[in-house]
Amino acid sequence: MVALPAVPLVDESVDVERRELHASEVPWITIVWNDPVNLMSYVAWVFRRHFGMDAPTAEQRMMQVHTEGRAVVAEGNREAMERHVEAMHEYGLWATLERAPR
Amino acid sequence: MRGFVVVDGGVEAALEPEEARILASLAAQLSSLLGEAADDEALSDADPAVARLLPDAYRDDEEAAAEWRRLSRRALAERKGAFASRFAADLADAAAASQTTRIRLDEAGAIDWMRAIGDLRLVLAERMEVGDDREGMSDLYDWLAWMQDDLVRVLDLAEERGA
Repeated sequence: MVALPAVPLVDESVDVERRELHASEVPWITIVWNDPVNLMSYVAWVFRRHFGMDAPTAEQRMMQVHTEGRAVVAEGNREAMERHVEAMHEYGLWATLERAPR
Repeated sequence: MRGFVVVDGGVEAALEPEEARILASLAAQLSSLLGEAADDEALSDADPAVARLLPDAYRDDEEAAAEWRRLSRRALAERKGAFASRFAADLADAAAASQTTRIRLDEAGAIDWMRAIGDLRLVLAERMEVGDDREGMSDLYDWLAWMQDDLVRVLDLAEERGA
């Protein structure tokens, strides 16, 4: 969907203890939440501008925010997701980050 | 104003002095609110508009949310304040003029305007919940929506022509 920093793939051969050491590598997601104020055209434009989505993808993701109340717009490491959330807040969109569901 | 057009190096719109004065006044109020908010984290609890302008980055993790506020909230408020200040500064000449003034913006300027206009709508939406001039605010709210939508349109057009 979006060009993002590569997330290290989990090596199936490593044991549980070692995986816990790499908890920081568990993917995080950026979620944009619906609000009654921001314009649909503007939200889609922000998705294109910031995430480099093509127009149909941005439109689909914007509609998902609008109809389902939220949409995942990026996935990656925590620091990258914090930067995306901050960028969304700069644009006036309501965004949060959380751990990706396993 | 009739909306933005693509010009060499950016976009342009003609504003009446009265329009520019209203926008400049709103922009100055937004800049001032964000300045106060940058210095006072408690304002997010006291003013729902501030809470909406500077939302928490974590939803179900209060510890992470507090850490985020400690590290990022002030700088974010200052950057948003800078968008509003630039919006106000761009309007100053048109607001002081006695006739229609053409305002030209490069892409970065147009984006600052879009952000400031969006933030103004977020504040107006909260103020309309409790305000006593709902009709006046509602007209402003709709006008700002039209202007932001027009900026999206004209930036797309500028990009198409540039591509």
